[in-house]
Amino acid sequence: MSESTSETMIEAKEVQKWYPNGFHALRGASLQVNRGEVVVIMGPSGSGKSTFIRTFNALEDFQQGSITVDGIALSNDLRHIDAIRREVGMVFQQFNLFPHLTVLENLTLAPVLVRKRPRAEVERQARALLERVGIAEQAAKYPGQLSGGQQQRVAIARALCMEPRILLFDEPTSSLDPEMVREVLEVMQDLAADDITMVVVTHEVRFARQVAHRVVLMADGEVVETADPETFFTAPSHERTRRFLEQIL
Amino acid sequence: MANRPVLAPQLRRLRRELFSSPGDGVLSISLIVLIGLVAIGFLRWAFGQASWAVIQVNSTLFAVGRYPIEQQWRLWLLTALLAAATGLSWGLLRASPRPDRTGTLWPRHDRLAVVILVLGALWLPWALRLAALIQLRWWLVVALLVGCRWAAGRFAAVLPSALRRLVPLLWPALYLLGMVLISGGLGLVTVPPSEWGGLLLTLLAASFAILLCFPIGVMLALGRRSDLPLLRWGSVLYIEFIRGAPLITLLFLGQNILGFLLPGGLAPERIWRAAWVLTFFAAAYLAESVRSGLSAVPPGQFEAARSLGLSYGQTLQQVVLPQALRVALPAMVGQFISLLQDTTLLSLIGLLDLLGTARTVMANPAFLGKSAEVYLTLAVLFWCCCAALGLGSRALERRLDPHTIPSAT
Repeated sequence: MSESTSETMIEAKEVQKWYPNGFHALRGASLQVNRGEVVVIMGPSGSGKSTFIRTFNALEDFQQGSITVDGIALSNDLRHIDAIRREVGMVFQQFNLFPHLTVLENLTLAPVLVRKRPRAEVERQARALLERVGIAEQAAKYPGQLSGGQQQRVAIARALCMEPRILLFDEPTSSLDPEMVREVLEVMQDLAADDITMVVVTHEVRFARQVAHRVVLMADGEVVETADPETFFTAPSHERTRRFLEQIL
Repeated sequence: MANRPVLAPQLRRLRRELFSSPGDGVLSISLIVLIGLVAIGFLRWAFGQASWAVIQVNSTLFAVGRYPIEQQWRLWLLTALLAAATGLSWGLLRASPRPDRTGTLWPRHDRLAVVILVLGALWLPWALRLAALIQLRWWLVVALLVGCRWAAGRFAAVLPSALRRLVPLLWPALYLLGMVLISGGLGLVTVPPSEWGGLLLTLLAASFAILLCFPIGVMLALGRRSDLPLLRWGSVLYIEFIRGAPLITLLFLGQNILGFLLPGGLAPERIWRAAWVLTFFAAAYLAESVRSGLSAVPPGQFEAARSLGLSYGQTLQQVVLPQALRVALPAMVGQFISLLQDTTLLSLIGLLDLLGTARTVMANPAFLGKSAEVYLTLAVLFWCCCAALGLGSRALERRLDPHTIPSAT
């Protein structure tokens, strides 16, 4: 199990973001995530949760504040962005698998191209990862031939194949049928037991309670509350959190 | 109604489809009569009144223009190589559409195509009363094509996959070799472009423009979506300018302006000027097709690739373009086909392409009034080329579509 060492993996300070249309999405959001920690971000829709974690691997830019990931300060320097993206994996709500490649090719593409590792070795690792997420027999199929839950598990394996130190999950179960949510959450729970750092945007209360080390509430582009799951769900200190919990519990 | 005659199933189906109601019956019968009359009229003309001597006498002119006779073996060699490459690619495409699919080696359409090819090769040279030697050459070319098709299909499984992946590279290599064979150099006697003509010139101009407009079109499409304003506006300006002008004006412009702009001797041959104009013209239209393909790729694909650490170039090459081009393929092939037909405009600027050759032949008093025969031949030749393009693109489309591939298990 991960004893939360005090080494900081992600540090976001007072992040401000405006979209080109003028919408003020992040209004001074701050968050610190330690190595091996599992942090769940909750909050009403439109509160900036997704935007926030997408700034961690520079899929979104920001205008003010600072973000440091694995000791590298996020700036507009492309080399830094590429370095960070190699260390940060991301799992999307819509899976975003590459439909023209087989499952196995989806996994091996980036390690071979970006990390320049030998293909045979990457394929061995990819098959082991598919085994781990429980879909080893689908390696030769195309994403379009899999169910949503299977696709999302492939997406997780694809992110893991780059051996990232941080995994970001952007509502990984929100577009799945209820019976498929569980298979994906089980894989995520299995991962959380490892040393990998995870930041998860989700509405799954049970996952947050059982797996998270800390739960964060975002509202209106700000981090309102940060607490351990027990405190967060039973004795939140902010009125805004109580209102949110009333609506979802 | 007890002893109503039992119809064969095919006849029953025919009756159901053509005579399901009185109105349908009247329509069917009048259409059948109309089609029959037209067909009979055409056949009577083709085999009775029409005199095909104009094609027989000028067949070499239609094929290669005034290409020197003693150098024509180079074109025969090229034809044979093209036939072999076509056979190889065709066979491999059928043998292994995908590593996980077991396809039939000789689908019904393929058998039909082979029969048509063989019959055509036997009948056409004979009907045109070509010299025996030339008839023999055509038989050999078709035999080579079918033989390679058979061999590739039969032995593809034995070939190592590394070797099989090299087969598509055969085509660009063959194109370069073909240019050398046609124009000379590397120890071969030079044949200046002014002596190329007929189908040779048409196919050469079309294939040159098709091959080169593709990379230019893709770059223009990417430029149009670029974040850099200069690149974006440059691309937009270029595309809109070219699309706003008729090809014929651009062709005339190219003939005249390139001569003025470039100092004497540097301006390319008239044929190359025209080929470049065709290329740049087609690129603007192609760019729009590619752009529609690019916008069909969801932004999530780009984000997923980038979040895996792929660079911008790798993302385009590995993730975005393969998907975009597959979507754009039908539209692009449509443009290639119209490009092939647009080459007939070369005759208006005085080049002896297929149409230009035909016009010189028809101007010959010996063949006065034979334009129907000539134009029909031209139409059939163009139809064959376009049909080949269309067939090839449909095969490619099916092969690239992951959704048509049945599961491995």
